[in-house]
Amino acid sequence: MKFQIPIGPQHPALKEPISLRMTVEGEVIKDADLRLGYNHRGVEKLAESKSWIQNIYLTERICGICSHSHATCFVQGAEKLLEIEAPRRGVYLRYLVSELERVHSHLLWLGVAGHEAGFDSFFMYTWRDREVVMDILEMISGNRVHYAINTLGGVRRDLDEAQKAKILDGLKILKARSEYYLKIGAGEPTFVGRLAGVGMLSRQQAMDLCTVGPVARASGIARDVRKDDPHAFYDEVEFDVATADTCDVLGRAVVRIKELFESYKIIEFVIRNLPDGPIAVKAPRRAKPGEVVSRYEAPRGENIHYIKSNGSDKPERLKVRAPTLANYAATIEMLRHGFIADIPLIFAAIDPCICCAERTAELVDARTGEERIVRFADLRRLAASRQAHSNKRNVAWPL
Amino acid sequence: MKLGIFLPELIRSLFKKPNTVDYPFEKLEVPPDFRGSPFLHPDLCIACRACERDCPAEAIEIEELSKEEKKFQMVIHNDRCIHCAQCVDSCPTTPLKAMEMDHLFEIADFDRHNLKMQYVYNRAVPKKPAGSAVAPMSPNRSAKPSDGSESATAPAAPKPDPASKPGQS
Repeated sequence: MKFQIPIGPQHPALKEPISLRMTVEGEVIKDADLRLGYNHRGVEKLAESKSWIQNIYLTERICGICSHSHATCFVQGAEKLLEIEAPRRGVYLRYLVSELERVHSHLLWLGVAGHEAGFDSFFMYTWRDREVVMDILEMISGNRVHYAINTLGGVRRDLDEAQKAKILDGLKILKARSEYYLKIGAGEPTFVGRLAGVGMLSRQQAMDLCTVGPVARASGIARDVRKDDPHAFYDEVEFDVATADTCDVLGRAVVRIKELFESYKIIEFVIRNLPDGPIAVKAPRRAKPGEVVSRYEAPRGENIHYIKSNGSDKPERLKVRAPTLANYAATIEMLRHGFIADIPLIFAAIDPCICCAERTAELVDARTGEERIVRFADLRRLAASRQAHSNKRNVAWPL
Repeated sequence: MKLGIFLPELIRSLFKKPNTVDYPFEKLEVPPDFRGSPFLHPDLCIACRACERDCPAEAIEIEELSKEEKKFQMVIHNDRCIHCAQCVDSCPTTPLKAMEMDHLFEIADFDRHNLKMQYVYNRAVPKKPAGSAVAPMSPNRSAKPSDGSESATAPAAPKPDPASKPGQS
C-alpha cells in the first residue's frame, strides 16, 4: 500500500520553503518529487534595472552563505564585457576571499550534517571553529556575511602585514581542528554508521544527472571548475581535487573536509605570494554590446552566470544557474529506496540553498490544474481577499 | 574503529569557559574596517550626486533646496541601506571623504522612519581634482572628525550640523 507524504513547503525539517512529495511503502521511499517556486524573489528582473556596479551588491544577495561566489561570478563576466582586467594583486585578494568563504561554507555544512545525524556536539564544535574564519573575513572585508569586496576591475580593500599574520594564525587553528574532524568523520563509529550507505548515487547516475560540486566528487567524478577551466590564478597554484568513491553521504562529508585542506593550501599560497601593486583599475560605466558566460566553483558546485549587454550601463539579461539547481535531479535518485528518517540527511547532503535556485514561479490552480500568469499586485489582492473571507480570521489559539 | 573517540573532547569542554560572549552585557569589538551605517560630513559635500547614483538600495536622496544659495538636502534612508559602503567608494572628495561609515551595529528600531537621517547644508566648493584614482578604501581608515581643516571651504553661514544630523524627518 502506497502513501504520499508531503514535506514542505513549510516544515520544521526544512530551513527554506520547498515541497518534497514522497511516495512511501512502509517506511521505504518508492518515489520522490520536488516542487520549487515558493521563494521566488525576482532577482534576475531586478538586475535589468540596476547598473553594473549596483548589480554586484544585488548578485551578492542571491545567497547568504556563498555571497562572494555569486558576486565574483558576476564580476568575472562583467569585467569581460567592460573590457577591463583586474590587477594581479586584486585577483589574488578576490580569490583569497573565495577560499576563505569555501572554508566557512564547508564548516557550516559539517555542522548541519552533524545536526541532521543527531550529533549535536559536532555541530556546536564546528560552528565554534567556524567563527575563526568568520572573524578573518570580517577583518578583511568589514562584514561577516556580505563581504562586498568585489568591485568592477579589482577589489575594494587591501591587506596589510598585520592582517596577513592574523590569517596565518587563524589557519593554524583551523588546520588542527579540521584534522580532528577528519578523524571524527572517518573514525567515530556512531557517526560513520549513520552516514554510510545513505543516499547512494552511483558514478554513472551522478554523471547522467549532471551533478556538480561535492555531490559529484563524492561519487568519484573529479569535476571542479578551478581545475577543468582554470580562471584567475588557479593554474599557478598547486591543489588537488578531493574525491571519494563511497557514493554516499559519508563520502560527501569526507570530500568537504578534504577540500578544507586544499583551501588552506591555496590561502597560504596567496598570503605568501601576494604580488605588489594596485588592487583595482577604474571601470567604465558602459559595457560593449555582447554576451558572456561566467563559471565559478562555488562551495556547493559550479555556478554559472550568463550576462548579456546591449551597450548601456545596465545588463540586458542576467541568468543565474545556482549549483543547487543542478543537484536537484540527483536528489530524487538519492531519496529513492531510502528511508523516511534519511530524508533530512540526504537533502542536507547536497547543501541545498533553495532561494539561490529559485528562478521562476509557476502558479497552478489546485482544483483545475490550470497554469496562470498573475501580476504581483493581483496575487496580493487574492491573498488579502482570501484572508478576509476566511472564517478563521482573528481566532485565538486554543492553547 | 573504537567507540567514543569524541568523548575526550566532550569531557575537556565541560571544564572550559563558554566560548560565547555574554552579549548585551559584554560586547565584541568590531574590526577597524567595519561597515556600519553611512553618514555625511555636510561641510565637505560638493553635491555631485555620485553616491545617489551608485547606491544599490536607492537609500540616498539629494535634493536642491535653493539654487542661488546652493543649498542642498540629503536624506539617508538607513532603513533601506544595505551597508555596502559603495557611497564611500563613489565619493570623489579628497583627501577627506564626505561620506563615511560609522561603527555602530545595534541600529534596530521599532519605527523605520526613525532611521532616516536628514542633512541640510550649503554645497562645498569643489577643490581642484587630484588625479583620477579609483580610491578604494584604505585598510586603516580611521574615523576622522568631521569639522577638520576642511571647514574653511564651506561657504558662509553653514547650517549647524549637530542640529540637523540626528533629526527625524
